[in-house]
Amino acid sequence: MTLLHLEGLGKQFGEVWALRDLDFALEEGEVVGLVGPNGAGKTTLFNLISGRIKPTTGSIVFAGQDIRALEPHAICHLGIGRTFQSSRPFPRLTVVQNVLVGRVFGKEVRFRPRADDLETARELLEVVGLGHKVDTPAGYLTPSEQRRLDLARALATRPRLLLLDEVAAGFSPVAIKQAVDLVRRVQERGATLFVIDHFLNLSLRVSNRLLALDQGEKVAEGPPPEVMRNREVIRAYLGLRHEDEND
Amino acid sequence: MERAAPTKIALPGPDRAIPVLLLLGLVLLPFLARSNGYVLQVFTHALLLATLALAWNILGAGGLVSLGHAAFFGVGAYSSGILSLRPGLSPWLTIPVGGLFGAGLAVMVGLLCRRLRGAYFALATLAFVEIPRVVTDNWDGLTRGSLGLVGLPGLPALTLGPWRVEIGSSASASYNLVLSYALVVVFLVALLWRSNLGLALQAAREEETAAKAVGIHVDRYRLLSLILSAFLTGTSGAIYVHLTRYTVPGLVYSLHFSAVPVIFAMCGGRFTILGPALAALVLYPVDQFLFHPLLPAGHEFLYGLFLILVVLFMPGGFWGALRRSP
Repeated sequence: MTLLHLEGLGKQFGEVWALRDLDFALEEGEVVGLVGPNGAGKTTLFNLISGRIKPTTGSIVFAGQDIRALEPHAICHLGIGRTFQSSRPFPRLTVVQNVLVGRVFGKEVRFRPRADDLETARELLEVVGLGHKVDTPAGYLTPSEQRRLDLARALATRPRLLLLDEVAAGFSPVAIKQAVDLVRRVQERGATLFVIDHFLNLSLRVSNRLLALDQGEKVAEGPPPEVMRNREVIRAYLGLRHEDEND
Repeated sequence: MERAAPTKIALPGPDRAIPVLLLLGLVLLPFLARSNGYVLQVFTHALLLATLALAWNILGAGGLVSLGHAAFFGVGAYSSGILSLRPGLSPWLTIPVGGLFGAGLAVMVGLLCRRLRGAYFALATLAFVEIPRVVTDNWDGLTRGSLGLVGLPGLPALTLGPWRVEIGSSASASYNLVLSYALVVVFLVALLWRSNLGLALQAAREEETAAKAVGIHVDRYRLLSLILSAFLTGTSGAIYVHLTRYTVPGLVYSLHFSAVPVIFAMCGGRFTILGPALAALVLYPVDQFLFHPLLPAGHEFLYGLFLILVVLFMPGGFWGALRRSP
């Protein structure tokens, strides 16, 4: 079943098209890596899906509903969670409060706090490896811990589709292995994942498919090995020398 | 059984002692200062200002700075004053109605300024005070314009069985009434901060984009916080007008009542529940007892001085400095 359907999606900033005429569909339960060099439009695409910015052209249909005009909080309630490229914790709130916010407000809003919300928040922090820091103000965490907190907070909203923006950037090889396990566990819980991965250190191992963008346009999509052999993708990442182009 | 302590927003451990001691001192004050009506008057006003600072910081919890709370204060004062004068309603009724008028104005301000943040919101609120002030000043038939309201009824006596407390004519009874009101405000504000609404407001203050992305309807909660804040501020204004028993537009729609809650909240600690009240109870008496006799014309420079010192050296305010958390 198609969970997210993008059609003719475009975003123009001034004269520049950050994203142009994108058609793409995500199937329920798959993990799709979104790759491309700087300025390819990856984060713009996430901002469009999560409602932070509104598209100039095209449509975004999530689970059969057009979400193009919805506010970010409403999109979250429908089941789209996200993390941010540079993580955005609530610095003066404790780590567990950060996650509790996602738990309490992520779906229907409840004003009576429930003890098991706190319990769930703690469990999620165990999952991302922050179980020992629950009472630390989030502003005191290291950047990599803040990334994991972002992830736990997004998971607390119980998303059907999770948008991960460079969740493993700057991670050590060990941490990347943990991130891979984590993504697999999230997938097993039934979530669909869309993973931005500029440095390709996560998506090649976890993705069912890749979508490659360059300068706002789709250059390739398909199984990871195929996309990585694609001439346009290599050109976008590395540049091709003239003699290479002839072979 | 897990303790719920980690989810609390403020007041861990040792600084529980301060509110208890403070409360004890405030309750005993009428006995300690029995012969001195002036001391009681100063603390009555300090408590009233504390309620303004606490109410202001309901909005502050969500990250918005208002420089125009005098609008709600003045509307509460005038609506309660007029209703007690013309139809001659009891101040016990008109005081909460004054709060409702403040809340009504807040709905207007909130909807008009919904997209504004930071300095833009602050400047808009600063300008907004002028609207009710000009209306009050010019609607002579209703408000008597710049002549003001005089001869307002004081707070009526409370009768409970055989006991009768003359509130209006007794300094200590007025003090006790304002103290009780301040405790109600503290209770409400603490409840709010620790509720999920308080959590949403603080999350929006800390990181608005992330707050929206995890499902918080930021605009709605901020509007709600403004309405609650304005209701309490209007109620305080109404109590004030029945304590002083007269008013003119320039008195209640003044920079003083706009600035003082901001200063107290900043100095006391705007990320804390009780900090703003603490600052009111320290700074206003210091101003009145120490600086006013020394510098009758310019004593309020104290507030400016404290504000600068706190901003430079104690960004978390008094209360924030008592705690170690950021």
